[in-house]
Amino acid sequence: MSDLVELIGLTKRYGPITALRGVDAKVDGKIIGLLGPNGSGKSTLLKCLLGLLPFEGTGRVLGLDANREGPAIRDRVGYMPEQEAMLTGMSAVELCAYAGELSGLPRTEAMQRAHAALYYAGLEEKRYQLIEGYSTGMKQRVKLAQALVHDPEILFLDEPTNGLDPRSREDMLELITEMPERRGCAIVLSTHLLPDVERVCDHALIMHEGKARFVGTIDELRGARGRDTELAVEVKADAARLADALTAAGATCVVMSPVALHVDLPVAATSELIFRTARAAGLQLRHLEVRRESVETAFLRVIGQAA
Amino acid sequence: MSTIHDLGYQRYVGTRRTAATRWRVIVRNQLSIAWKTWWRYKAVLALAVIVTFVAGGFMYLASDQRVRAFGRAGIPQMMKEVAIPVALQWYCRIAFLLSLTLSAGVVATDMQSGAFTFYFARSIRPVDYVIGKLAGMVLLVATITLAGPVLLAALRIGLSGDDTESLADALPVLLKVFAIGGLATLVYAAVPLGFSALVPNRRYALALWAAYYLVVGAMAIGIGYATSHSLGALQLPSAIEAVTLRLFDVEILHGLDAKVPLSAGLISIGAHVVVAIGLVGWRVRAAQQSGVGGAT
Repeated sequence: MSDLVELIGLTKRYGPITALRGVDAKVDGKIIGLLGPNGSGKSTLLKCLLGLLPFEGTGRVLGLDANREGPAIRDRVGYMPEQEAMLTGMSAVELCAYAGELSGLPRTEAMQRAHAALYYAGLEEKRYQLIEGYSTGMKQRVKLAQALVHDPEILFLDEPTNGLDPRSREDMLELITEMPERRGCAIVLSTHLLPDVERVCDHALIMHEGKARFVGTIDELRGARGRDTELAVEVKADAARLADALTAAGATCVVMSPVALHVDLPVAATSELIFRTARAAGLQLRHLEVRRESVETAFLRVIGQAA
Repeated sequence: MSTIHDLGYQRYVGTRRTAATRWRVIVRNQLSIAWKTWWRYKAVLALAVIVTFVAGGFMYLASDQRVRAFGRAGIPQMMKEVAIPVALQWYCRIAFLLSLTLSAGVVATDMQSGAFTFYFARSIRPVDYVIGKLAGMVLLVATITLAGPVLLAALRIGLSGDDTESLADALPVLLKVFAIGGLATLVYAAVPLGFSALVPNRRYALALWAAYYLVVGAMAIGIGYATSHSLGALQLPSAIEAVTLRLFDVEILHGLDAKVPLSAGLISIGAHVVVAIGLVGWRVRAAQQSGVGGAT
């Protein structure tokens, strides 16, 4: 089976400006976060993958060549743009049915799926209202529904939570999270909001200055240093005493509070060392977990390394 | 509260409409948008129906034996002759109204609302968009500038004498109205559409079109009259009338417009239509090649 997206030396130039500089990546997964600072080439990459912009190199989506088979790709891919992209004078259901028909669905099927997509996006009661009167959150939902209506295999979402209030943002993230299971489509989520990525994505592609700087799972990104030996420990009391005992056993410790410390175990040691040391010192462990970077920290590290 | 709803989703496995026929979906949407509100199309259509009834009434009266006997010599016949050319002028005025309510804002509205992204994120090609929008407008304008005149021409044939000679005299009228109505349809469908592609703002596009049609047109016909120059053909109604007057050869209608030669009228119509379609095509192609932006 082919990768969702495969890029080999993908380069895009706008006159003297090179937006994408030989991007190499094989992307797979259910929800892929496309991350990068402003001007890193995320939007250009999405447009290249949709077959809207010609480029040098190879870019395949679902095994189709984006340079030559753009229309075939767009029939199998849904795109939720960042900017407003609506038609005036139409209700949500008319817009979605129209979108379905433009993507090749028969008229009746398009109308049925428009109702289903809007119902899925949580707009069932408002679907006959003119879109001009919608709030930002409702417009985002319509954009999602119109991208879904033709039954795509991949959904490209460009900043889907932009401009949403916290409640609407939660709803949108919930929709995104459930989509691969419920509708069987993969999602490429382009966003600046790293907490959103942390919450919903299982894979990430980080772009910086027109190049792919990281491709892999979120776990790989967060634990990219390959270490499960950094642990966060909580005790009932006297974290400093546990730190001393662990230091004597060869670990490196940082006391964070009277009841919390971070422990970096020596090579070849396991968390068993902490249990044994605590027992020997008569201290009660309350909590122990492997310390991982947040996506935000990992992102900054990847970008920093690139810089 | 969960927002996830599902109506028993199943992947679509049926056949899809071929890419080459998707412009028809755009045409149907154009018609549906036009029909939706009373002021966009229905009011204009009502005006065209009124013109058809009035002109048809004149033609009917003019062919009535009692009116012919009552009227002064030649007047009923003249009414019958001029009814269609005069009605054509009115149909053009109504088509101009339609351009203000609909066609002169089509592309500008799409640019303003980010609809290009909506279209081109699907497998719609620029040519599908242009054909779809143009064909939609042609169908709408044709109900004003072609259907009305054809109905009047059919009435005139129906009112002609029973003898073969009268019928033979009346039949060419049908061809003439097809020719003039067809040209007028092209002009009032394509040229406002071209103006709508000039700026990404509906109001400005409407203002530009209205200014060109009314102000520039009036200046052109004035200069053309004063200098006996073909410049007057730049005024689109005059260009169409130049063709009408030549085909119907109705002396009583000759006024300023008679100064526009037939050839200049035809060239002006052709040039306007070609430039307008080219402009729409260029604008749409540019938007698609730039990777489609959102709303302006």
